[in-house]
Amino acid sequence: MVHDVSIDVEPGQVVSIVGPNGSGKSTLLKTIAGVVTALSGQVLLDGNDITNWPPERIARAGVGYVPQVNDVFGPLSVRENLEMGGYLLHRKEIAGHIDKVVGYFPTLGPLLGRRANKLSGGERKMLAMGRVLMLQPALFVLDEPTANLAPAIAQRLLHEHVRQLSVGGASVVIVEQRARAVLEISDHTYVLGGGRLRMAGSPADLANSPDFVDSFLGGHATR
Amino acid sequence: MSLLLSSLGFGLVTAAVLAIASVGFTMQFAVTDVLNLAYGAVMILGAYVGYAVNQAGLSVWLGVGAAAVSGAVISVLLNRVVYTPFRRRGTAPIAMVIVSLGMTLILEFGLQSYVGGNNVSYQLDQGPTVRLGGLQLTVAQLVIMGISVAAMLAIHTLLRFTRLGKAMRATAADRSLARTCGIRTDRVVAATWVLSGALCGLAGAVFAMDAGSFGATSTDLFLVLILAAVFLGGPGQPYGAMLGALVIGVGTEVSAAYLTPAYKDVVAFVLLLIMLAARPTGLLGSRN
Amino acid sequence: MGNGVVFYLTTLLVYAGVDVLACLGLSQQFGVAGVTNFGFIIFQAAGAYVASVLSLPGDSANGGFQTYLGGWNLPFPIPWLGAALVGGLLAVPFTFLVGRRLRGDFAAIGLLVTAVMANLLVTNYRPLFNGSAGLSLVPAPLQDRFDPQSLGYQWAYGITAVVLAALVYLFLRRITESPYGRSLRAMRDNDLVADSLGKNLVSLRLAMLVLGGAIAGLSGGILVGFINLWAPSGWMYAETIVLFAAIIIGGAGNHRGAILGALLVPLAFEEVTRFIPQFGPPGLIPALQWVAIGALIVLFIWFRPQGVLPERRRITARFDNAPDPPPAARTEPRTPPPADSVGEVVLAAHGLTRAFDGVPVVSDVSFQLRRGRLTGLIGPNGAGKSTTLAMLAGTLAPTGGSVLHHGQDITRLPAFRRARTGVLRTFQLASEFKRLTVLENLLCAVPHQPGDSFHGAVLGRRHWRDAEDRAIDRAAAMLDQFGLTGHANQYAGDLSGGQRRLVEIMRALMAEPEVLLLDEPVAGVHPRLAHEIGARLLDLCAGGMTILMVEHELAIMDEFCDPVVVMAEGRILAEGTMDVLRSRSEVVAAYLVG
Repeated sequence: MVHDVSIDVEPGQVVSIVGPNGSGKSTLLKTIAGVVTALSGQVLLDGNDITNWPPERIARAGVGYVPQVNDVFGPLSVRENLEMGGYLLHRKEIAGHIDKVVGYFPTLGPLLGRRANKLSGGERKMLAMGRVLMLQPALFVLDEPTANLAPAIAQRLLHEHVRQLSVGGASVVIVEQRARAVLEISDHTYVLGGGRLRMAGSPADLANSPDFVDSFLGGHATR
Repeated sequence: MSLLLSSLGFGLVTAAVLAIASVGFTMQFAVTDVLNLAYGAVMILGAYVGYAVNQAGLSVWLGVGAAAVSGAVISVLLNRVVYTPFRRRGTAPIAMVIVSLGMTLILEFGLQSYVGGNNVSYQLDQGPTVRLGGLQLTVAQLVIMGISVAAMLAIHTLLRFTRLGKAMRATAADRSLARTCGIRTDRVVAATWVLSGALCGLAGAVFAMDAGSFGATSTDLFLVLILAAVFLGGPGQPYGAMLGALVIGVGTEVSAAYLTPAYKDVVAFVLLLIMLAARPTGLLGSRN
Repeated sequence: MGNGVVFYLTTLLVYAGVDVLACLGLSQQFGVAGVTNFGFIIFQAAGAYVASVLSLPGDSANGGFQTYLGGWNLPFPIPWLGAALVGGLLAVPFTFLVGRRLRGDFAAIGLLVTAVMANLLVTNYRPLFNGSAGLSLVPAPLQDRFDPQSLGYQWAYGITAVVLAALVYLFLRRITESPYGRSLRAMRDNDLVADSLGKNLVSLRLAMLVLGGAIAGLSGGILVGFINLWAPSGWMYAETIVLFAAIIIGGAGNHRGAILGALLVPLAFEEVTRFIPQFGPPGLIPALQWVAIGALIVLFIWFRPQGVLPERRRITARFDNAPDPPPAARTEPRTPPPADSVGEVVLAAHGLTRAFDGVPVVSDVSFQLRRGRLTGLIGPNGAGKSTTLAMLAGTLAPTGGSVLHHGQDITRLPAFRRARTGVLRTFQLASEFKRLTVLENLLCAVPHQPGDSFHGAVLGRRHWRDAEDRAIDRAAAMLDQFGLTGHANQYAGDLSGGQRRLVEIMRALMAEPEVLLLDEPVAGVHPRLAHEIGARLLDLCAGGMTILMVEHELAIMDEFCDPVVVMAEGRILAEGTMDVLRSRSEVVAAYLVG
């Protein structure tokens, strides 16, 4: 699915990966999170090779992964979801971390007792990100957090929340279909197509490149 | 009226035994997606361990504890040695059910070849009969109900308020997502088999007390009641299983009072078929 | 030979016939059609009881020591025919358990529990079949004319049982090796896909339950006529597990395996243990036999799940050792039909809506598919494309709106009926029938095959051979075109991912649908081949086919599709040629910004 793709993420950076459907972005993220096995290549975290570690070990190493679908525990309450996010924390730390996450996503505050599968799309995605935030990971891995969200909510999520994740020095890798929107919050962007790297650069360079729009809407095979 | 009340009393005792058994069964299904039909066999093994302790001259209540421990040990072994290797190989669910039927034969008739074909009974003082708001129950029956209520409260506390219990629910909901949270799901699954196995052995012992006399194949029919309770509440749903046990337990005994006792289990059977046909996710399950 | 030995041998012969019959019936259900009937033994029991009460005199005879229903005193062969008939009819009420909605293992549990309860009921309800004591003094067939204890009678009985088993074997082979049998095996491999190809799952499964039930009933009738008594202790639910052990050991899906299993497990196993010297307390040896049956099941599923005689791969000789030709070369450029040609509306969506758990995934989607057009459907992930396609094909019921086929409302028509009217879909995920060969996968989709019905299969090869030969010719041409001739005799499950996509497309084309709904047909296919497929689809459109294609690869859309429908967030955003769409800001926004 994905061939020979190299991506670097620096601390405090938001790095976005964009590209048409089926270009292998999700597979790449799953490989980083350990949910699928890499056939070749390496995933390095702070210089340590974490390739093909089991996902629970990768989580312990400081990678917080938010899948595109099945991103929360539906039958569990919002609070319980956050507790699962903080599973590796000491018992006494959990309440404090939940308060911090609620401070970060105030929407979740009044919803703590609600079952996760009763949330709206935007609330659910905030919970998924909040769940990951519980451990304050060194690297956030977000797979299309705005898929299925209304445009206004998507914009808010990206600007108010995703960008903020990196403020404390954490890194963010985000895959998005809303390429223009994600460019605005990225420090560096990679464009994937057909499982290969097509373009890379700073958001400003890419936004002005005619090839960029083409890589989405103009069949790259024909031109 | 007194007929209704006395049958209600029997029904509550049956429901108490059934609830312990059904919650264990449904938890195994929740974390492993296996319909472990050997559950009845493990139950009766537990009952016999309790009998052995009782025969050794020790208290029957010590035997109940021994039954729970042995149920846990056998269940963990069953999962570790049989089901997990098959699942790792990607064996289809239907083949897993056939394997569990094979294990039923091995365990039940292995036991029968050891203990023989005659029924046995616990040395148990039923105690005086107590009247409770019209219900007539023996002290032993009250103790069985007490054990069941205590077990259900313990399960409730575990699932709602402890780290392990919540991890069990998270693992049942989405094992892959649980792993990305750092939960070592293989340990959680193992813990679930310990717990559900203990419930299974415990259920076997109280079943034996309630039934009076029992043999190696006595739980074959009881398994039908367990399945009915589990499917009524929705497979994989512990609270559904508790509700299902109450409905099936009381329903069978009350119908026994008005129909013929020989056909009381038919009620459970009919309810099970209706659930399978109309709503296989159970009363508490989601529609999709 | 002493008389004792002869009696023993004839008894063995009868048991062999009965066990083989039962295993054949179960093998047809489980091995061929994938219907797991854990209650199989109750059909044999029903046959035995029915044969008994048809042949017994009224229950006041013999001093009235037993009570039972009926007692009609009817002559042979009516009891045996009645046994088969009732065994078959008994299956009808179970239709509700084998529909499409219920998980196979849940349905199996329902049947298992039914077997336990049926035994309990018959044991306790004495007026029916004399309760737990069971029926005895059941007359042997023709006992008024022949002496059942004579050697000649014993031989005749044994030979009759074996001949009947052989006839049933030939009959089942006739069915299994027909196009109908192929449909059964397709259902076993993937029922959802078989449904979408026009196979009526409920009718197929019901037919197998009835057929297996009738065979089981006959076996019960034969058995009770020989042993002359029948009681609930003889048909505990566990007896079904013995039969399952037999066909798992012999080889499920292969009737010869079922026969071998019948001879090995219920027969040889019982007979061999008969010669073990008695040891231990009474009941020990039978208990150990059960342990051994359980162990055999578990060990075989672990070490040799396919059994001693695995299912044979059906090889068609003309494709043996055939090489793969290169895909047909195509040099002339294809011109899409002119944009202003307006075909008749074949399929239309009107306000289609679908919600999951109250969350809308598709809202108020309306568009039309016109004859001769290759319509594209694009949109970001989660836009609702696949959901829309599923609603058009009938594999998913909409929560609102309607689907019109030539103006006729087909919203409530189940998928298999839509497929039969020419509206056919493919799937995004691999959906080949794994244990059918590539050729069989293709042949499976052919419509109007006279052998693809129970009736047609019974009529035999002569009835459907010509249609089959024509279908094989078409399949050969198709395989040639897609460069897979050399793989015709391979199991489809053994192909690479890209090749399996091709099998699925070829299979859909074999159905000659009027409307073809393709869900990402070229995902994972080599670009050059994807191009070939696009060109081929255009050819089909030129021939009058109507195609809707959901696809990620916009290059394909550019080259072949007109018009293209864009969906985003469950709604239709725009419709037009790719060139037009590319200039529309809301389309660019949907893809790039949202």
